Amino acid sequence: MFQAIVSASTLRDALDSVSVLVDECKIRLNEDELAIRAVDPANVGMVDLTLDAAAFESYEADGGVIGVNLSRLEDIAGMANTGDLVHLELDEETRKLHIQIEGLSYTLALIDPDSIRQEPDIPDLDLPATIVVEGTHLDRGIKAADMVSDHIGLRVDEADETFHIEAEGDTDDVDLELGRDDLIDLSAGPADSLFSLDYLKDMNKAIPSDAEVTVELGEEFPVKLHYEFGEGMGHVTYMLAPRIQSD
Amino acid sequence: MSDWTEKYRPRSLSAIRGNNKARDQFREWAESWDDHGDAIIVYGSPGVGKTSAAHALANDMGWETVELNASDQRTASVIERFAGRAAMNATLGGSSKGESGRQLIVLDEADNIHGNYDRGGARAITKLVKEAGQPMVLIANEFYEMSRGLRNACESIEFRDVSARSIVPVLRDICRQEGIEYQSEALQRIADANSGDLRGAVNDLQAAAEGRDEITEESVATSDRDRSVGIFEFLDQVLKEESAQQALYTSYDVDETPDDLTKWVEDNMLDVYEGEEIARAYEFLANADRWLGRVRASQDYSYWRYAGDNLAAGVAAARDGTKGGWTRYGRPQFWRSKDKTGDEVARRVAESSGVSMSIARRRIVPYLSVMTHHCKPRDLTVAMAAYYEFEEKHVAHVTGSGESTNKVQSIVEDAGELRGEAMEAHSGGAFAGTPSGGSDGDAEAAGGSDSADGVESTDDPDGTDSAAEAAEVDDSASESAADGGDADEADSDDGQSGLTDFF
Repeated sequence: MFQAIVSASTLRDALDSVSVLVDECKIRLNEDELAIRAVDPANVGMVDLTLDAAAFESYEADGGVIGVNLSRLEDIAGMANTGDLVHLELDEETRKLHIQIEGLSYTLALIDPDSIRQEPDIPDLDLPATIVVEGTHLDRGIKAADMVSDHIGLRVDEADETFHIEAEGDTDDVDLELGRDDLIDLSAGPADSLFSLDYLKDMNKAIPSDAEVTVELGEEFPVKLHYEFGEGMGHVTYMLAPRIQSD
Repeated sequence: MSDWTEKYRPRSLSAIRGNNKARDQFREWAESWDDHGDAIIVYGSPGVGKTSAAHALANDMGWETVELNASDQRTASVIERFAGRAAMNATLGGSSKGESGRQLIVLDEADNIHGNYDRGGARAITKLVKEAGQPMVLIANEFYEMSRGLRNACESIEFRDVSARSIVPVLRDICRQEGIEYQSEALQRIADANSGDLRGAVNDLQAAAEGRDEITEESVATSDRDRSVGIFEFLDQVLKEESAQQALYTSYDVDETPDDLTKWVEDNMLDVYEGEEIARAYEFLANADRWLGRVRASQDYSYWRYAGDNLAAGVAAARDGTKGGWTRYGRPQFWRSKDKTGDEVARRVAESSGVSMSIARRRIVPYLSVMTHHCKPRDLTVAMAAYYEFEEKHVAHVTGSGESTNKVQSIVEDAGELRGEAMEAHSGGAFAGTPSGGSDGDAEAAGGSDSADGVESTDDPDGTDSAAEAAEVDDSASESAADGGDADEADSDDGQSGLTDFF
């Protein structure tokens, strides 16, 4: 049983953050929240999303799992104007999702959740450094790095208490230095890792520029990016494996 | 019922049947991967366990896998997006535990990267193989279908066909686990029918066992699996071993059109046949070619069968007895004319002489070649280049001199000047007043006619028939040039006056 009404913009924000990594995903319809966890086909990036029941105008669910084609669902959500409400209702018999937007009704065929790639168990990571940064700063660093290279370094300077977003190209280098004043919060620790810009660019697309992004970082460890959307009732965590250091 | 090939897919390399040597080599490659970092190509016939081996290996090594196979589109961008990302990054699971985060990238059917559908895919793979930071396995049926660059960049292991002796125990095992009674002869028969194809044998076993709890020899389907025959096997049968009838039947299983088959047979027949056989074989090949011509003319492809009869049964019948030994069959050499420069020369000659390209190619260009061999005499060559508006490569093509030589370049320069002069001479002073000066008109006209003289004077060096004809050709050429000039003059005369008229 699943029945929900949600504003189109909240739905779109949620879908966007997942669709940058995968084309299909499982949606868990828990009693008090909607949850998505997905790993990209190359097993490098992961997204973990929860949307509290409070983010919906109304929400009723009993813990089922559905599989959806994200690009389809995004297309449908794209038909709605920002203020519109989207009605979602699961038909258990036919395994189809009925979607209604301002008189437009769409029946979406679901995918068998068992056919969707299983997410691996990720152990809890205790990462030494935590940086809280504005979405715009992150965006600026990633854009700059993209000009010179296809990978990007994230580093914390413990002595100076600064956070660096840097990239080394074949000929040119860039380095965005963010000090305590630029950052919302910083707890310094040994942290220096290299990541694929492909992934960070995609993740960055989904991160609103006014969001507070919490970056958890280690040395040669995956990075975690947390942010909130939908008036603080949607939570997204991205996790990205480091790039293999070539010698 | 689930698919048995999936259900009984080996989970560990040690469970792979047949190919023990290849299996050990494969394991060694994986264990020493940290030292060499090379990709590996695993190749062999369908159904011998290549893909199974790759997944079993990953399982043994505790690696995760990413697979890209022919059901995905594999353009350069897709390969970079999936395999490329996987190859450059650690895995989430591994790196979170502080381990290496290795994963095996399995590229199935790597020899079937389609040229157009998978645009740029082959190159992207070669690039990826060289840069990958993760172990990569390329799986292929035909080793030599892959580009040389790719083959050289990888290690390779061949998986041979699995012998019937190794297939039978596998089938027996499955029967026991499924609780199915069996007759040994039945399993033997399935194994034999699937010569070398273990997966095919398991599929046949499942089909035979469907809805029964006992497999007898009678319940085993009697028909053999269709199998395409390679071109080399076909050539062996036609040119060496089989009867006309058998050769014809084999030709039905070859994945080539009669056009190509005819070329293959024709090109390789001479390496095998001798004396009278050759004459008889050519008779049949000529017949085949005639039928191919009819196909082309009428677009009625049912005639293909007669071409096939001739090229397979006919050529096989032309042979006396059977032949032995091994022959290195070659790919036919004349797929298509790739002589672009030659085509271009013929086109220019055809255009300015008002003849067809084939006439230009056969009746004019050869004479030009003889007359201007190695750019001698020079003034004739210049005149020719000017008349046909040849560039360096065209002059080089006709005369046989090197394209980059000073001789050819200076000829083309002179020809350009000559053309310019001729244009002014024939323009009736329309360009007078330009810096080069129309006042020289007369002198230049003289120059122009000189060149025409030059053309005619070339009969002298070679007093042969060809020269005579060449002279004709050139005569008409220079005439037409003259005509052209007249026409120009006429044009400029009627209605429009030249500026000089008012000076």
